[in-house]
Amino acid sequence: MVPPFSPILLGGFLLSALPSRLLQPLLRAIMGAVARRHPAMLERLGPYADTVFLIDPIDLPIRFLLRVDAQQPKLTIARGADAARAGAVVRGSLLALIDLLEGRVDGDALFFSRRLAIEGDTEAVVALRNAVDGEEIDIIDDILVHAGPLARPARSAVKRLIRLARRAGHDMALLQAALLQPVIERIESQTAETERLRQAMAGAAQFRGRRGAAPAATLLAGSE
Amino acid sequence: MSLAQEGKGDLELICPAGTPAALRAAVDAGAEAVYLGFRDETNARNFPGLNFSPAELETGLAYAHGRGCKVFVAINTFPRAGAPEAWRRAVDCAAELGVDAVILADIGLLDYAARHHPGLRLHLSVQASASNAEAIRFYHEAFGVKRVVLPRVLTVEDIAELNARIPVETEVFAFGGMCPMAEGRCLLSSYVTGKSPNITGVCSPASHVRYLERGTEMVSRLGEFTINVFQRSDAAGYPTLCKGRFVVGDRASYLFEAPTSLNVLPLLPELMAAGVSALKIEGRQRGRAYTAQVVAAFRAAVDACRRGEAMPEMSALDAITEGQSETSGAYRRAWR
Repeated sequence: MVPPFSPILLGGFLLSALPSRLLQPLLRAIMGAVARRHPAMLERLGPYADTVFLIDPIDLPIRFLLRVDAQQPKLTIARGADAARAGAVVRGSLLALIDLLEGRVDGDALFFSRRLAIEGDTEAVVALRNAVDGEEIDIIDDILVHAGPLARPARSAVKRLIRLARRAGHDMALLQAALLQPVIERIESQTAETERLRQAMAGAAQFRGRRGAAPAATLLAGSE
Repeated sequence: MSLAQEGKGDLELICPAGTPAALRAAVDAGAEAVYLGFRDETNARNFPGLNFSPAELETGLAYAHGRGCKVFVAINTFPRAGAPEAWRRAVDCAAELGVDAVILADIGLLDYAARHHPGLRLHLSVQASASNAEAIRFYHEAFGVKRVVLPRVLTVEDIAELNARIPVETEVFAFGGMCPMAEGRCLLSSYVTGKSPNITGVCSPASHVRYLERGTEMVSRLGEFTINVFQRSDAAGYPTLCKGRFVVGDRASYLFEAPTSLNVLPLLPELMAAGVSALKIEGRQRGRAYTAQVVAAFRAAVDACRRGEAMPEMSALDAITEGQSETSGAYRRAWR
């Protein structure tokens, strides 16, 4: 999958500079908060407690490993060799994955439009999608629920940031399309011209064939 | 039989609920009834992580009934030979919790429900594949079936003719998965995986499906078979054999059906005139965002249809269709 040209992609380069020992406690807190507030989700995922999911936001330089064991759920940063341990992979842009997590978008629709890719144990991925969709998760609320008086302003700030990222992503996609359009038009024109020449050559070969000349394949091969 | 008979032509909106959250989304978006299944092989969407426990059904019933919405329970697979207990328990549980109807396919289970729960409203599932007046009248006379969900093989004219000859309500598929086979009789999934929607409640079970990213291509496989190869610009579809691309000679093409979704929005006035009582939106396996979006669109369209107004523009649904493509299926049967 090709990552979208977005502020997440640009911001991700900064993220790669952060050491994982700083990010890991945050991931542990997020997983703990989700597990506490949505025990029914983990209960639905009981048969898949041992499955390791690789969550791959294609516009970030890092990937995550997820285990949905109700007793010990885990969300960790995947290092190079860790990814090979994953039994199932879920891949998409960060905002698409957040939308899926929070039920704002239908997983099948994302898959049909090729904005979501899955690999490995399909059954485990389907179970994860269904369990998550059934929970009405609001990840920001889940994380900030214990933030006391700071929860409300922090929630508002983070939501505003996400809204801005979405809008900027939309604008950047438009910009990208505008910049690429002349190149696309040139390629399309060259493709059409190539096709026209190919058909003309095939027609000429057929004409010669009818006049008792050598077979078309031979003629085309000889003209190279 | 006249179309003035109660219920005929109402276009009651029947909406899918794969989870309690989807049930709430459907009710809030304007469903007149939701249909759902228990978390086992007794229903035809026995997918991992989906469906309802009895406790969740009880809570869901309270939510729906509190807002004037009915709840139907699909117990529409065929009991395994010699082991009908799970199916009978499902009927008992649904009846005890006070659902508004159960959707059944198997004759033995219909008989069980009619004898043990005479007050329970029975609907005939599409899985029974009853597509002629004689078959439908039999189910009505033998078991007191009040509504039949029609197979997706009839034209609007066929449905109008049928409605004039039967004493029960008809429900037709309106949006979503476009199953091109005779439901309840399709064994394509069984052939490859040993599991089918008829007995185990799954078509192309996820346990047998693999997706592989191969350069710019995405390959979908079911068991040992490659179902499809999608280029980067192609919209994808479900990994079912009926929507696979088959190679004949040197050419790969769709033989049964291309990846596409049914959408009857433009046909609503005709279906109403044909005496259809209810519209079924497919998609218990879809997310609650799909449920909310499709139900809201159909709510607006049915309301417009009841008022005799033109159908509203609904292009927003294009983005959620399989293969990003829509069809009116057999209702217009344009290929004939």
